[in-house]
Amino acid sequence: MSVFEGFKFRRVYSPIHQLDPRVKFFYVLAIFVIAIMFNQLLPLILLFLIQLPFVFIAGVQREWIRSLRGALLFATMIFVFNFVFTYFWTEYPLLPSPSLLEHSIAMTLRFIVLVESFSVFFLTTSPDHLGLALEQSHVPYEFCFAFTTAVRFVPVLAEEAQTIMDAQKARGLELERGNFIKKVKNYIPVLIPLIVSAIRRSLELAEAMESRAWGATKKRTNLYVLRMKRGDYVLILISATILILAAYFWIFYREQIPLLSSLLIPLRLAAA
Amino acid sequence: MAIIETANLTYTYPGSTRSSLQDVTIEIKKGEFVVLTGPSGCGKTTLCRCFNGLVPHFYGGELQGDVTVTGLNVTQQAICDLAQHVGLVFQSPENQLFALSVEKDVAFGLENLGIPRDEIQKRVDWALRMTGITNIRERAPHELSGGQQQRVAIACVLAMQPDVMILDEPTSFLDPVGAQKIFDVISRLNKDLGITTILVEHRLDLAGKFANHVIVMDEGKVMLDGEPRGIFTSEDARLIGVGIPKATRLYQVLREKGVSLKRIPMNPEEAARSLREVLTLD
Ligand SMILES: Nc1ncnc2c1ncn2[C@@H]1O[C@H](COP(=O)(O)OP(=O)(O)OP(=O)(O)O)[C@@H](O)[C@H]1O
Ligand SMILES: [Mg+2]
Repeated sequence: MSVFEGFKFRRVYSPIHQLDPRVKFFYVLAIFVIAIMFNQLLPLILLFLIQLPFVFIAGVQREWIRSLRGALLFATMIFVFNFVFTYFWTEYPLLPSPSLLEHSIAMTLRFIVLVESFSVFFLTTSPDHLGLALEQSHVPYEFCFAFTTAVRFVPVLAEEAQTIMDAQKARGLELERGNFIKKVKNYIPVLIPLIVSAIRRSLELAEAMESRAWGATKKRTNLYVLRMKRGDYVLILISATILILAAYFWIFYREQIPLLSSLLIPLRLAAA
Repeated sequence: MAIIETANLTYTYPGSTRSSLQDVTIEIKKGEFVVLTGPSGCGKTTLCRCFNGLVPHFYGGELQGDVTVTGLNVTQQAICDLAQHVGLVFQSPENQLFALSVEKDVAFGLENLGIPRDEIQKRVDWALRMTGITNIRERAPHELSGGQQQRVAIACVLAMQPDVMILDEPTSFLDPVGAQKIFDVISRLNKDLGITTILVEHRLDLAGKFANHVIVMDEGKVMLDGEPRGIFTSEDARLIGVGIPKATRLYQVLREKGVSLKRIPMNPEEAARSLREVLTLD
């Protein structure tokens, strides 16, 4: 079960799920651009916090945390690289100081913000909606169809892979033995039947499509259409406002954004 | 009036040395419920493919003779044009559903035809109702049981309002109860809507009673073609290995033993009635 559990989109109805995927994508892009504009910790923290309400309104906290946890290893790597490389390789090396630490954290947070926004997008957009959005963005229908069909068959193929693995294990195949190369080789008896059956499946699929008038007319109609609703306009407004504000600060106050550590130190002094 | 006609139909798949269909000449009338049966590999699926143009247009190969379906010459029509008259439901339900929701799948054919959206909505609703799956319209295919998937597949074809509906072993993945339900749906569509139905089936115990026309094939040829009771009781059918309904088989055995029933029974109820008649006579 566990293997393909993650591939299934959970059908939930929240205000965020109802939003037009194109608008949500615009929002993700806005966050993306802003995250690239700033490399200071303070704006990136703000950017991180701004997205939390979306996660909670959509009610996808658990999945969202799981996806962040998935990004943890990569985030750690980014942090270490930033810390080490900025220290050794810059011409005027920053000493291991609060500001270097802050810089490394900021770079890591930038990555996390990107992961966060994309995961919110994918966690709250049904593949069906996504396909529809592609279609209405004038992507050729063949591509949209290929996309939704691929999503449709992921759980099927995952289940099949599991069956084949079990069958081959029952015949004495040991998947987990040997070094890395050997392990990869062990998977060949699983892969080949899987590929063969996928090809057979695709032929049957093609037959079924033909039998249901695939390609009868250039002007296909669609059962569903995406229509912008009030929520969509609100999100566009929010995204645009954040973007404009960010651009304003970036143009006029880019150099003046204080380091978080410089804000904290006076506080500590005051406390002492 | 014949809705499907073939004349001396012979077909060979590309790269194959043997013909999968040999000199097939049959006639199917409007509104009939045809059961097409025969041993594995005898060409039933191939014949079905000829009716909606998959053979020869999709498969290629060499076709001789004539196939006419609803007055259209199959070799001269595109598959998508034939699809509006002939619906084909395949054996494996999983591989004929490709959308992420039942509703969207049922709409697929209509979308391809460019039918206006409100009309699509109407026809989808209707097809879901006819097949009794309105309650699962928003589910994804992998959330459905085999029987439900097969009903969706039938609804997909039904929504296109075909004149002929062909079902190629639609219940081979189902248990007897699930199969029975599917047959009931099919039979209702045939009776109430007058859709000409061709059912490929081995298990005649369940499907035999719906038929009013049976075609038995063997090795690419049509061996028997006619009225079900006659065919089920014929010696040829038994030799070919047709899965004769048990009630009909009982009739044969009793006749060999010298007990003859008045009517040839096709299902247990009919057998019981005939037996009672014989018993009260004694
Ligand atoms: N795509 C193909 N290419 C070449 N030969 C084929 C192809 N499909 C079927 N055949 C051959 O054609 C013959 C008839 O096959 P067909 O699938 O029509 O039989 P069937 O009666 O449907 O059998 P089953 O009951 O097993 O479904 C078989 O000998 C088979 O090997
Ligand atoms: Mg077959």
